Amino acid sequence: MTVIAKETLIGKRVPKLDAPPKVSGEARYLQDIELPGMLFGKILRTDRVHARILNIDVSAAKALPGVHAVITAADTPNVPLGIGRDNPPLKGDKVRCIRDEIAAVAAETEEIAEEALRLIKIEYEDLPAVFDPAESLKEGAPVIHDKHPDNIPFTFEYSHGDISEGEKESDVILEEKVKLHYVTHCCMGVSGIIANFDSEGNLVVYSQTQIPFMYKKDISPVIGVPPEKIHVIQPVIGGAFGSKLDIYPFEPICIFLARVSRRPVKMVFTREEELVASPTRQPVELTIRGGAKKDGTLTFREVHTVHDNGGYTSWGATTPFVIMQTVSSLYRVPHCLYKTTVVYTNNPYSGSFRGYGNLQATYAVETHMDKLAEALGIDPLEFRLRNAQEEGETTPQGMRFHTCGFRDCLTTAAEKSGFREKHPAYKSGQEGPVKRGVGIASLLHVGGGAKIYRTDGCGTMLKVDDFGKVTVMTGSTDIGQGSETVIAQFVAEELGLPIGSISVINNDSEITPWDVGVHASRTTFIAGKSAQLAARKARMKLLKVASEKFDLAPGQLDLRGGQVVRAEDGEALMDLGKLIRSLHFSTKNDIVMTSEYYEPPSMMQDKEFKGDVSATYAFGTQVVELEVDTETGVVRILRVTAAHDVGRVINQMGIEGQVEGGIVMGIGYATTENLVVENGKVMNPSFRDYKLITAPEVPEIDMTFIETMDKEGPAGAKGIGEAPAICISAAIANALYNATGVRFYELPLTPEKVLRRLREAGGNGA
Amino acid sequence: MHDIKRYLVPDSLDEAVRAAAEGDVTFLAGGTDLMPQTRTGARSFSSTLINLKQVPELRGVSRENGGIRLGALTTVTDVLNDVVLRKAAPVLSQAADHFASDQVRNSATIGGNICNASPAGDMIIPLLLLGAVVELASWNGEAVGTRTMPLEEFFTGPGKTQREPGEILTAIRFPVPGEGFTARFVKFGTRPALDISVVSVGIAGVKENGTLRRVRAAFGAVAPVPVRGRNTEAALEGKLLTSDTIRQASEATQEDISPISDVRASAWYRRELVRTLTTRILNDVSTS
Repeated sequence: MTVIAKETLIGKRVPKLDAPPKVSGEARYLQDIELPGMLFGKILRTDRVHARILNIDVSAAKALPGVHAVITAADTPNVPLGIGRDNPPLKGDKVRCIRDEIAAVAAETEEIAEEALRLIKIEYEDLPAVFDPAESLKEGAPVIHDKHPDNIPFTFEYSHGDISEGEKESDVILEEKVKLHYVTHCCMGVSGIIANFDSEGNLVVYSQTQIPFMYKKDISPVIGVPPEKIHVIQPVIGGAFGSKLDIYPFEPICIFLARVSRRPVKMVFTREEELVASPTRQPVELTIRGGAKKDGTLTFREVHTVHDNGGYTSWGATTPFVIMQTVSSLYRVPHCLYKTTVVYTNNPYSGSFRGYGNLQATYAVETHMDKLAEALGIDPLEFRLRNAQEEGETTPQGMRFHTCGFRDCLTTAAEKSGFREKHPAYKSGQEGPVKRGVGIASLLHVGGGAKIYRTDGCGTMLKVDDFGKVTVMTGSTDIGQGSETVIAQFVAEELGLPIGSISVINNDSEITPWDVGVHASRTTFIAGKSAQLAARKARMKLLKVASEKFDLAPGQLDLRGGQVVRAEDGEALMDLGKLIRSLHFSTKNDIVMTSEYYEPPSMMQDKEFKGDVSATYAFGTQVVELEVDTETGVVRILRVTAAHDVGRVINQMGIEGQVEGGIVMGIGYATTENLVVENGKVMNPSFRDYKLITAPEVPEIDMTFIETMDKEGPAGAKGIGEAPAICISAAIANALYNATGVRFYELPLTPEKVLRRLREAGGNGA
Repeated sequence: MHDIKRYLVPDSLDEAVRAAAEGDVTFLAGGTDLMPQTRTGARSFSSTLINLKQVPELRGVSRENGGIRLGALTTVTDVLNDVVLRKAAPVLSQAADHFASDQVRNSATIGGNICNASPAGDMIIPLLLLGAVVELASWNGEAVGTRTMPLEEFFTGPGKTQREPGEILTAIRFPVPGEGFTARFVKFGTRPALDISVVSVGIAGVKENGTLRRVRAAFGAVAPVPVRGRNTEAALEGKLLTSDTIRQASEATQEDISPISDVRASAWYRRELVRTLTTRILNDVSTS
């Protein structure tokens, strides 16, 4: 008798399935793909920030040998893109910001295409420009879009309770204004696309999109191709972090070039282009005012933000959806008012970026919390614990916390970092120019998707073949976050198979079923659950077939190690492949193939932005210990102690990578990264002067996962993709205050900015 | 960058300078500055591109007449790994250790770093401390002619030097520092790795009984060219390194530099850093 013990992969260290091909160079990125007859596309971008286009002369470019197509706005339907429908792929009448696309060329080589761009002559009439949203709001300011003479494409307002009540109850009221800067995703793989029409007019797009199905729907009217004629193939994506959640002008432009040239056309950005012409994190000016009672109870919070929308609207404009969640619901706030004005300027425009406004919101809320604690004379940890949300609460915005590990996160991070002892010790003053500080900050983020659309679902199709090999077709995209591995783990778990028996197909819209897209940290939760349920259906079917064969109830059987086994003692009864072959080669004439569409039990928010928008919520606390040289302004982060409510760890190795990567990205945001925009122009479009942090700056990271075992999440999991990047900048600023007694209201905390602020504040900077 | 009509790989100095004498040439050594600059359009290639890497006269580190000669093609990695240099001029090895990344160091040459004439050139400040001279060669119509010039006189502006169009920088020479010589170099970037200097500060001298003599100070990225700090030197020369002397010397740095504001730092911050780093270096020298 062969006995097979029950094994599980959940919570184990499972190497990413895509790691070997990526390390060996087998992985095929968009850059690696070449189609027969393929041309190279290049875009001519404006060097003006606001100007009327008087004339575009492409005659010399068209005449250049090797050029197959030169297009301008006049040659295309040019229906505007984006949620504001304000961004025509090619600009024909005027340009509104530095990255604006005016003409495009498809040629036999990249060099010829570049040469052709140089031959295009454009005449402009410069228009008065505006770069400061405050200026843009003034009467008589230059109008960026005629459709919005006030330069305001969107406003947001949310409230609960009554601010004036909260003010009356307050013993302390504090107000501060924070100003947050431009950063960009810096994906290792730069943006690109390949477009190809067949003779029937069907379009194949090789795309890096993280929303393949919405992509078809959204791009269809822009290019005038019906969605059913669009086939999206996603080669391995070299990072996205939210940047591929929208469609940007280069995509329809490349498709136009393919149509005009009747050839496949490939377009790949240069790094400089990537830094100038891809989306940024939304810059925000945020005024926060709030109060508390002497006993440390929060009374009210009021937040006003101005979003610099730049010249056009992408997802950055909608970050208030997330910002207001942290404002209203990270802590118990009885009275709350939130307002955003989104303002057009002639600056670059912003898209979606890991955290989606929450880095900005949390910086404001968590530095403000620190200040309130100080004003009340309460330890910052105690103050937070007093106001922290708990399991079972429904916030006034409508979020229901079925599980909530927030308090555990706070106490765990504080204990493991020695926060309680170090905070008062460092505060009491230190000798010498180099001072130490410790700071704490926490976060709330959606952890079970976000019902932005009528559905937040994900489809899975699953087949088990005649040798027990499983193919999972999922609508969700792996943009590097490791979802392929997690999905395979869930399936392996249900079917009792080694992970090597599972292959995941997630990159072809003709094969995979529908999914909303990769956003809102939803993939493990929603695509994972969808895959888990599809696998469970296959399991049921297999057990039923086996039960007839072995005259045992399905409940008395199990699937382990590729075998059907007797559940009670694990005795192997039959190889899984053999069981399936018995279905094919018999009068049963059946196959094992299942499908699932998982829809999370969340709801869309109402017009007042209220509603339980996610199936669950993630919490986390990070404590930063740092050293600051008060004579040079250099900040050295020594240690990060993180505690995250992740529901349950599915892949220990994957989640450690997510948390480390998020912290590193957050430290970059807080300390070194800065896309310098002056008068609408990007001043540092290279990695020489756009400073990502590098290995020596990565601090020691200690992480603890608080497992609250979410009842809805697959195997208890919550989303973790965005959370680790969110609160670190506030923790750093709070640690700097602990070290120096000076508050910091602007990011990034570069040595120069830190020194300048220390000098200005003169040790009296609260 | 399409305008290269001729690409030459001379294998002797004679051949190289003859080709250079024909005019309109761009020299390629390590390429770590040339390639990014031509790609971004900051400069363009001339019609003839001369790859100097096969010229044997430009290679090697040697000791001659009490001095050290670095062939212009000596890479930053060569400097870092050279045992003789590490002993004779540790400040140079130290600068090499803070120079860009391994990949860039393996390719970048000392001659290229000097001819690129960046005010922030990392190898230049320590060479100024060592009293280096540059050796230039050109075709005089009949033979290879050479001239030498103190390094500090070589630079005339950002990216500009005294090198004539047909001239090739062949070597850098400096005397081996004597007994008691001490030198410090601090490169300050906004992150520890892979950064371009926001400022760099170098101070050297012979320390005797708490006093610095034959003082040399030099600053990078705070003027159109890497500069000698004459005022700083005067404030230190022959004086006991007391806290007063250190304070005065740190103040004197401000007269030596004329920084600008750019995307990397403001003039104000550069001034602050030079003052602070000078104080720190001198405190360190006084106590060691």
